[in-house]
This record gives sequence, structure tokens and C-alpha cells, in this order.
Amino acid sequence: MRRALAGASLALALACPAPAGRDEGFRTNTVRAHLSSEPQSLSLIGKTDYSSEVLALLISDGLVGYDSSLEVRPMLAETWELSADRRTVTFHLREGVRWQDGRPVTARDVVYTIRKVLEPATEARSWRPHFENLASLEAPDDLTVRATYAEPAADFLDAWRIPIVPEHLASKDRDFLTGEFAKRPVGCGPFRLVRHEPGQLLVLEANPDYWAGPPAIERLSFRIVPSDRTTYEALLRGDLDLYVGVSPDLWRESLASPRASRLARFVYPRLSVWHILWNQNGSNPFFTDPRVRRAMVLALDRERFARQATDGIAIPAATTYHPETPWADPGVRPWPYDPAEAKRLLEEAGWTDSDGDGVRERGGVPFRFTLLLPASPQELAERIAVWTQQSLAAVGVRMEIEKLDPRAFFERRRAHAFQATKSTILQTPSPDHHDVYHSSAREGGMNYGGFSDPEVDRLLEEGRRTFETTRRREIYFRLQRRLHELEPISCLFHWVSPVLHDPRLEGIERSPLGPYLVFPGPRGWRWAGRAPGRG
Amino acid sequence: MARALLLRSASSALTLLLVTLIVFLLLHLLPGDPFSEDELVGPRRLTRAQVAEIRALYHLDEPVHRQYLLWLQDLLRGDLGASFQDRRTVASKIAERLPVTVTLNALALALMVGLSVPLGTLAAWRPGSGLDRAAGAGTYALYALPVFWAALLLQIVFSARLGWLPLLGLASDRAAELGALERLADRAAHLVLPTVCLAYPGLAYLSRFVRSSLLEGTSGEFERAGRARGLTALGVLVRHGFRLASVPLLTLAGFLLRHLVAGSVLVEWTFAIPGLGLLFVEAVLARDVPVVMGLTLVSSVATLAGTFLADVLYAAADPRVRHA
Repeated sequence: MRRALAGASLALALACPAPAGRDEGFRTNTVRAHLSSEPQSLSLIGKTDYSSEVLALLISDGLVGYDSSLEVRPMLAETWELSADRRTVTFHLREGVRWQDGRPVTARDVVYTIRKVLEPATEARSWRPHFENLASLEAPDDLTVRATYAEPAADFLDAWRIPIVPEHLASKDRDFLTGEFAKRPVGCGPFRLVRHEPGQLLVLEANPDYWAGPPAIERLSFRIVPSDRTTYEALLRGDLDLYVGVSPDLWRESLASPRASRLARFVYPRLSVWHILWNQNGSNPFFTDPRVRRAMVLALDRERFARQATDGIAIPAATTYHPETPWADPGVRPWPYDPAEAKRLLEEAGWTDSDGDGVRERGGVPFRFTLLLPASPQELAERIAVWTQQSLAAVGVRMEIEKLDPRAFFERRRAHAFQATKSTILQTPSPDHHDVYHSSAREGGMNYGGFSDPEVDRLLEEGRRTFETTRRREIYFRLQRRLHELEPISCLFHWVSPVLHDPRLEGIERSPLGPYLVFPGPRGWRWAGRAPGRG
Repeated sequence: MARALLLRSASSALTLLLVTLIVFLLLHLLPGDPFSEDELVGPRRLTRAQVAEIRALYHLDEPVHRQYLLWLQDLLRGDLGASFQDRRTVASKIAERLPVTVTLNALALALMVGLSVPLGTLAAWRPGSGLDRAAGAGTYALYALPVFWAALLLQIVFSARLGWLPLLGLASDRAAELGALERLADRAAHLVLPTVCLAYPGLAYLSRFVRSSLLEGTSGEFERAGRARGLTALGVLVRHGFRLASVPLLTLAGFLLRHLVAGSVLVEWTFAIPGLGLLFVEAVLARDVPVVMGLTLVSSVATLAGTFLADVLYAAADPRVRHA
């Protein structure tokens, strides 16, 4: 109905002429982007939702950063070294870096930032767990930071991407999250916040004194636009220059629409995986058997579905390890579509259709389960659920679909009150998937299905402690082969994220972290054929 | 009179208390937690103990009845609490968005009344005529039109294609650089499409209401007496109809007051307007109890004030009520 009505309105609209004037961004050397929700905090480190993180990492820098191929690179720290016992890291800060108010950035600011992160009231939800392992943190002089960990951790650098906060400004506020600093944050990053109209608009301006040289664009503005469709129309109309994360439904529309033909487009591989979690804690008779879990995947023709129904947005997956990271074992391939083998495995596990009603049973119990999923406005999510249902029916398994509001869904999953769930895992570049597979993560972690395997536990622990890259990779390769065999969760697809933008806008990189969170990111964007400077 | 007012205030206060209690309990019956960490995935996550520390900051470690009493206690001191989502005060969050919603709704109401009264009058002038039937069919057709679709259609035609009106938001990017008059014009242009979207579904109800009120007042002896004095049909309507119809119309005005603070989610969402409707839905989805409670309070107060206002106006317009 919705589609038919939208189609009718489009037909009507096509009869009218197009508006003029798409030059505002180009003319004023501004890039006009959008965020789908207001950042929960501008404090740079507290209340870290996606919008807040994007802004924080544009306003301030960390000691290190990721480049677009996910290599760690020096930012505020020029160099660092690790002690022989791998418990102490010493960072040497870049000289002459200044806060946007002119004061120098010192090692004391770094210590202050981490101290603030460790305070519960800062609610630095995504940063805090990374620093819990710190035994001590000190600033022996203005340009040296020394951190000592209780346990050596191979991924320690990942956390030092955290944007640094100036002590002389932030420490004045009684409540960090609601004080003056969080209203008008000051950083040492490539952009400074110059305007904030809550719920509507955030405007950043290039920092002329940025240590790596000022960005080529003069301004970067973010409109808050909750509706995907409105964002898309705004881009077509020329009110926006860039749309990051085009929804699958609109991406499909844009591929066929003559109105979108003037735009440049690309997709970036997103560190995420669409998976089905099988509850194997014994509360259902189906999924404790690895043969059954594998049969479920063998029954799905993912290649064909990805090609025909997702316009290339979904890529069949083998495990949670993303092929765009250096940690994925190229030898571990997604299970092929093999319904005959799926049926054989089910028979072997004792599930047979003895009464001929099309549904298998074992000991009188029919193979009928419910897939729980969070409600989504995307038509594609619906399509995938229905496709899974039909594919499983073809091998004699009956699947019901139950949709829940996201928060209610999380609660059910946390309580292990499900048979199978469908959702998307968003990942960091780290290969440490401890939280998803380790037996200790069954309570409090993400191992909601209750998977437990001593070999997997051992490999995960070893990977955490191994610093040497080749050896570490070997460990995670072994882990992936074991996971592939046991199929504790079924990773069906990795997603790519589409971007549409004004074709004159250059320098947007195709990075698994998206265009904003990497170096150079927006620092390197420019309008082609336009002299630098103010419009 | 003083006693009546006192009684009225006491019953209003009791109603408010009951409404907040019910909404509070409903929010707690809703499954889901405002501080669940499940969306965040990385190699390391907050432990349950750390999540519990954050929950304690917002008194979520207390039993539900304690939480309600704490909320009530703060309320009596004029404090609506702090949002779970960004810890800003609920009062400041509502104050930021209230003017937007009230302006939009006031404009929409003005447009609705401005169109419905003449439409209803014309329909009542010749009841059953082609004009009456056309007005009825037209407004009911509009009523049946889904808002999300109408909003999209208006956006595509008037903004994307014709380029006459802005697509979204409340102001242009460059609004801060404009002069006062230009800024006002810019704001007005941004409000046109949302106002139309808010107004059109109510036309059917309001114009039919005007029509039936007028007809009631002009049928039978009124009409005969008027016509006998040489008045035309339209004259009867204007001289007698409106005077008699003013009572139900004023009652309706009281009820409409509530709608001034009721945000429309679909319109705000489509046009990217930061109003109370979007705030409310986001708060419910995020289980942001203090914000939902604050908004509940605002709309309940407006409803009660509207009912009160309607009663006062009713008494003013109808002498029989005053003396009863």
C-alpha cells in the first residue's frame, strides 16, 4: 500500500519541473551532511551514541587513529613503545598541538580524560570498559603519557582513539554531562563547533591551526533528519551534499531513478554481520546439536537471495570475522546452498517426517520454532525473515516469526527467553570476539545462545594475550575454523553501507568504519574545481 | 462561586495524580530497559555492575513505588527530573520544543477554523444541495488520506519539483545571517507544508460540526420567524444560527486547546521538525521515563485547562447555565 501510494505520488511529481540551485555547498565551500538523530552528548566522551561519536572525533583527536584501511596511525601521539613485559606503554605526544582556544595540549589533559571516563557519572559506555584494565596512568612530563595495565592486552591501542578533552575547560563544570563544556565543547581536532540548534542543525568550521594542516573544506554541517525518505529528497533537491548510510529500500529506488542519476555513489563494507542466534542452553530440543544448526544454513540459498533481493547490499558470511579485516581466514568460506545435505543432517540428528505432514518430528515433537526479531522500518528485514521461513519449510522445518520493539527484544534476548533470534552485530576492527563466543559471556555478555566449547575459550584467551601479529592471526584463523564447524551462531550476511553524494565532492574514502571516523576522513574532503577558502 | 472553583481544582488535581500514576505504572510494565547495553558491541563491554552504577544515578535501583514517590516529590518542588537519554532537565527539553509545537498547532487550528466555518456555513445554507454534498465528500476524502502519504506528496510536488517551499526543518542553513524580516519570511515558508498537513484531516469534523450546529439553530420556528421578518435563508443563518451555534462551538474551542500541545509524530518526523510529538515517541522507545512523564503532565494540564475554559465560556454564552 505504502509503495503503491509512493509510486503514485512520484508519477505525479515527475510531471513537474525540477528546482534550480544546487550550488550552495560548492559555492560556500561547505559540506552539508545529515545525522538521523540528535547527539545525546557533545561532551566528546560521555553518552556515546553514533551521532555523538561522529561529532566528537571531528572536534577532537585521540592519541592514535585508524586510517581508511584500519591500520592504527599516530595522531596526538607521535610515537609509543611497549615495555618488555608488555604491560606498560609510553606515548610521546606531538609538540606544539593546541586546543581550539590556543592553550597547549599536554599529557595532563590525557590523564584527565581517562580519569573522567572511569567515573560512572560520565556514562562513557563504549570507552570505559577499555580502560578498566589500567593499573596506573601518569604524565611524567608535558609530552609523555605512561599507562600500565594489570594484564597485557593485545588490543590496547584501539582504546587510545578516544578524543582528548581539555582539563582547563572541562574541569570547571560541576556536572560534566550537562555543564558549559558539554554545551560548547572545545577540542584539538580538525573542526570546531560554531553553531548548535538543538534538534535541527550543527555547524562545524575548519580549525585553521589544526596540527595536520586545516581541512580543505571550510565548513561541515549536520542537519538532524530522522526520516530516510526526507534525507533522500533533500539530497536530490540539493539541500544536502552527502547521504551516508542510504537505507536499503531507498538505495534500490535510487538505482532506477533518473532523478538520482546525477549523483555519485559508492558502497563501503560495514563491520557488521546479520546473524541468527540459536538458543542451545537446552531449553529447546532443536539447537543443541551442531548438525541441526548447520542444516539450517545449508537450506538457505544466500548467493541467490543477495543477488536478486538486496541489490548487492548483502554479502554471504561465514563467521563474525569480516573479510575486509586482516583477521578473516580466507580458507573459511560460507556454507553453500545444499538442501539435500541439510535434509541428510536433519535425518542423522533424528528429525524425520514420519507422518508425512511436511514437518519433521523427533519423539513426537514437531520441528517448529519461533524466530524473534526486532521491528524495523526496512522492507528488506521483512523480506529476509520471510525468505528464511520459506527456505526452512522446504527442508521440513516450520519457523514462526515474532517481531518485538527493539528494547523489548533486547530484554527477551538477555533473559535467554527465545529459541532463535535475528539481529545485526556491529563490530569494531578488533579480532577479539570474546564477548560473542566465550563461555564466560553467557551471563552479562553477548553469548545469549549459551554456546560453550573449551577449545574456543582457549583460543579466545590466547588471542587476547598474543601481541605478535602473524601468530595472533594464526590463532584467530584456528578459531574461525572451529566456529565454522560448530556453527554456534549462523552468520548469514555482511552488509555494505551505501553512500550517495554530489559528484563534485572528492576525497570520500571507502572505509569499513564509514567516512567520518577515520583519518583523514573529512579532513581530506574537497570540492573539485573550487579554490580553497571561504565562499 | 469560590466554592465551585475550589471543588473544581481539587478534582483536577486528583485527576492529574491518577493520570501520572497510571502512565508511570504502564511505563514500568513495558518490557525493555533504558540502560540496556545490547546495541553496543565491541571486544569489551560494561559489566553488569557498571551498568548498575549508571542505573543508580537515575534511581532505577529503587523499587517502583519509591521511584514514583521520588518523582512526585521532585514535582512538588517544581522539578520534572532529568532525561535518561542525555541527562538534560525535562523542563528545558520541553521548553525548547513547546514553542515549535504550539506555533504549528495554532497555525493549523487557524487554517482549520478559517476553512471550516465558511464551508460549514455554505453547507448549512442549502442542506442536501450539490454544494453541501460536495463539501462533505471533499472533506471526508481528505480525512481518509493518510498523513505520511500526503506529507510526502506535498514535499515532492511543492519542494522537490516546483521548488516553491523548503523541504524540511524550521529555518534555512543561512537563516542566522538574514535580516529580521527575511528571517520571518524564511520561517513562514518552512511552516506552510507542515501546517497544511496538520490541518487537513480535521476539516471534515469541524466543518460538519459547524453545519449541524447551524442547522439545529435555524430549523423550525427560528427559520419561520426569520423568514417572516423578510430575512433571506443566509440572513437567518447569520442572525440566528451563529448566535445559537456559538455555545457548542465555544465548547469545541475548549477541547481544541489540548491539541495545541499535542505534537504530531508523522508530520514532525517527515519534515524534520523538533516538536513534542517526536520527543514523546523517542522517549517512549528509549524508555526515558522522566521525559514521558513530563509530557504526560503537560498534555493533561492542557486538557483540564481546556475543559475548564470550555465551561467558563459556555456559562458566558448561555445565560441558562450561569443561573443554574
